[in-house]
Amino acid sequence: MAELKFAKSHEWVRPETGGLATVGISKYAVEALTDLVFMQLPPVGKKVKAGESLGEIESVKAVSDIYAPVSGEVVEVNAALPNQLDTLGADPYGAGWLVRIKPDDPAELAGLLDQAAYDALVKS
Amino acid sequence: MSSDVLPVWWDPAADGPANMAADELLAEEAVRRDGLVIRVYAWSAPTVSLGAFQPFAEAEACAAIAGLPIVRRPSGGGAIIHGTDLTYAAAVPKGHPWGGTPQALYDGLHAAMVDVLRDHGFDARLHAPSADDPPADALLCFSRRSPGDVVVRQGDAPAAKVMGSAQRRLGTAVLQHGSLLLSACPRVADAARHVGLAELARGRVDWTARSLAERWIAGIAVAGGLTTAEQPAAFAANLGERAAVRDAHFRDPRWTGRR
Repeated sequence: MAELKFAKSHEWVRPETGGLATVGISKYAVEALTDLVFMQLPPVGKKVKAGESLGEIESVKAVSDIYAPVSGEVVEVNAALPNQLDTLGADPYGAGWLVRIKPDDPAELAGLLDQAAYDALVKS
Repeated sequence: MSSDVLPVWWDPAADGPANMAADELLAEEAVRRDGLVIRVYAWSAPTVSLGAFQPFAEAEACAAIAGLPIVRRPSGGGAIIHGTDLTYAAAVPKGHPWGGTPQALYDGLHAAMVDVLRDHGFDARLHAPSADDPPADALLCFSRRSPGDVVVRQGDAPAAKVMGSAQRRLGTAVLQHGSLLLSACPRVADAARHVGLAELARGRVDWTARSLAERWIAGIAVAGGLTTAEQPAAFAANLGERAAVRDAHFRDPRWTGRR
């Protein structure tokens, strides 16, 4: 399985075979939000730029934007997830994936953090 | 290191969309000033503000609040009936000590209000979760209980929630909306009417909205090691076109009815 990359805004990306990139939210971010109650994901076909809002997630007290870690087109959405938000906490890097993106520029991935750099970020 | 100045705007009454537009831009101001900023404001008419994802149809169908204008906040949480409350917006950059987690800013601002209310004789505290808590998805904020809400106990009666807040966590800043219920709102039916400080004080009212807010902000400043700086003009006075764009967004029925 390919190494995860992370955005500073706490989304993760996993490059997949076929050039797609799976996107999710880090375990740290899910735990910080606590008690998730609602999620809105983008429609398939939406074009996003890195750093733009990809969706929104609400916990009991806060609404947070989910940012696209790479630019591209949303080609698949985990449509079951908004009705099974516990999955985000139970398996954030597996069944808790959000969308699959067809990146415009795979080289953008190189600008993201690796696991060690992300771990340092959340500890700082 | 964050700014050691706490700018405070005491803003005149405005309608819902204008207030929401100003609050969203307040978050940018927190980033620009690199520190906590607070805006205290009023409403030009009693108004219901809905949480970012609350179903509009549920509010529209609620007979107890019928006839009141509805605006949708960018922040989460439940619906608030404004008019007899003290409303504030506060914002910090994400890197601020109170910006890291939702509960940090929530508890920081609420703990300061607990101190103020205790000084006025209320048995106030931060709410701790309990099995007896009402449903978390009730339409109205003051019908819900969340960890850190400001509640006031009176004898053996269930504690009354008098202050609740909710956040919008943006890319670089956190915006927190909050409301202190000063008295029960006479414009709504009993089903939506919650007791406020005036009713809980039972005639022993030795405060005004302004005096409570001033003492609250002073407490926040002490907790944060900040010096309060009252701003001479309304926050929206110098925003120009940026405010107009956001105002239009919050007036758009597509935003209000987004869910």
